[in-house]
Amino acid sequence: MTTTATAPRYDADIYTDAALRDPYEHYRALRDLGPAVRLTAHDDAFAVARYDDVKQVLGTPEVFRSAAGIALNEPANAAILGCTLASDGERHAHLRRVVAHRLTPRALRPMREIVVEAADALVADLVARGSFDAVGDLARALPLSIVPDFIGWPEEGREHLLRWAGANFDSFGPLNARAEAALPQCGEMAAYGAALVRDGNVLPGSLGASVLEARDRGEVTDEQCMMLMLDYLAPSLDTTISAVGSAIWLFGTHPAQWERLRAEPELIANAVQEVVRLESPIRGFGRLAAEDTEIGGVPVPAGSRVLVLYAAANRDERHFADPDTFDVARPDALEQLGFGYGEHGCAGQGLAKLEVQALLTALVRVVTRFELGAPERALNNLIRAFASVPVTVHTDRSGAPDHHRR
Amino acid sequence: MRVEVDYDRCEGHGQCEERAPAVFELDDQGFLTHHYEGQDLPVELEDAARGAVAVCPVAALRLVGSP
Repeated sequence: MTTTATAPRYDADIYTDAALRDPYEHYRALRDLGPAVRLTAHDDAFAVARYDDVKQVLGTPEVFRSAAGIALNEPANAAILGCTLASDGERHAHLRRVVAHRLTPRALRPMREIVVEAADALVADLVARGSFDAVGDLARALPLSIVPDFIGWPEEGREHLLRWAGANFDSFGPLNARAEAALPQCGEMAAYGAALVRDGNVLPGSLGASVLEARDRGEVTDEQCMMLMLDYLAPSLDTTISAVGSAIWLFGTHPAQWERLRAEPELIANAVQEVVRLESPIRGFGRLAAEDTEIGGVPVPAGSRVLVLYAAANRDERHFADPDTFDVARPDALEQLGFGYGEHGCAGQGLAKLEVQALLTALVRVVTRFELGAPERALNNLIRAFASVPVTVHTDRSGAPDHHRR
Repeated sequence: MRVEVDYDRCEGHGQCEERAPAVFELDDQGFLTHHYEGQDLPVELEDAARGAVAVCPVAALRLVGSP
């Protein structure tokens, strides 16, 4: 290894409000600077923004570790140490086995009908209203009507789920004001999870119930059990909500792409991948270099913090043609890294894709056009999302001037 | 060129089947069948198989004996 080069440096804070509203120019600059770039505003963490290097780092989990590495700050890393997301090797594989088998596409087959029915009912109701908020009324409504039941979260406490989930993701950033405000709320969530385990207060037959059974069989400890209760909850809400909100916004701003989907609904699965590529819900996660290593020839010393930017990789012009263009028929959309990749690849992606596909399938049957109001961004250290996307939907039946579609 | 499947890792996401339906197939229970298990792939399927390896979200597929 002839890594005598030093890493290029980037001085901008990539977590300011302005940077979170429009991160993509920063990501382009980071890609152009090199395979690994020192973020001087963030304790000299190495940003990895190119597709090949992101995939390489995610594919080498024995070097780029998740334990003590996921967040860009120590208090958050300490708080999540031991959960599936923040563990490595055998421990990670063991924890993932306890829960992930409930989330695989094959295990989700019985869920398909429930999700499709819920999506159809929701869309029918909103289309009848004509105007609604694509985030508050559509994107949030579906996962909230499915995921808490699936995980087995009791009715009491559900009103906090979205706030806690958002705080969870805010806490993973650098220790800025957003992360500082989030940490106490993560504590509330952990205390709630601990109480669930202590009281066994989860819905029968749920994922949570199977976690408690694994505890009773001695497969996981009480503490691991508490982590597992939270592990799959927070990530299953904001992410899906982000993708649905971005999808409606993208189709509203790209009406020809919606026309294409209406003409070729078999492209819906690919369109969901394309939305996640272009507006990756999770911008990126951290890793910790366990040994002296290199990324694309740039030396990375043991103990370095590495920020793996999925959202930057997904717009890398070295990998995707016209990466900033929204194309539901993009031939390599499936190669996007928005769900991560490898050992820690998103365990819930089957459920997420099922939900977003079900909503688009219901919408594509009746909606001819999305007329957007002024959308509002939700600013989070990790999640790219809208707080609201006001929309009026036009249908063949609404008598709007959509009849003379081209 | 062969493709090896790590069945412990495979969670049945089905993206390999989308890329290379002549090589990979999910059965009715959602379990993966590899039509060229332990065999060299026909040359005309190599590109599709490479694509399948590239899109496995959990890195359960591995190319063996390929440049």
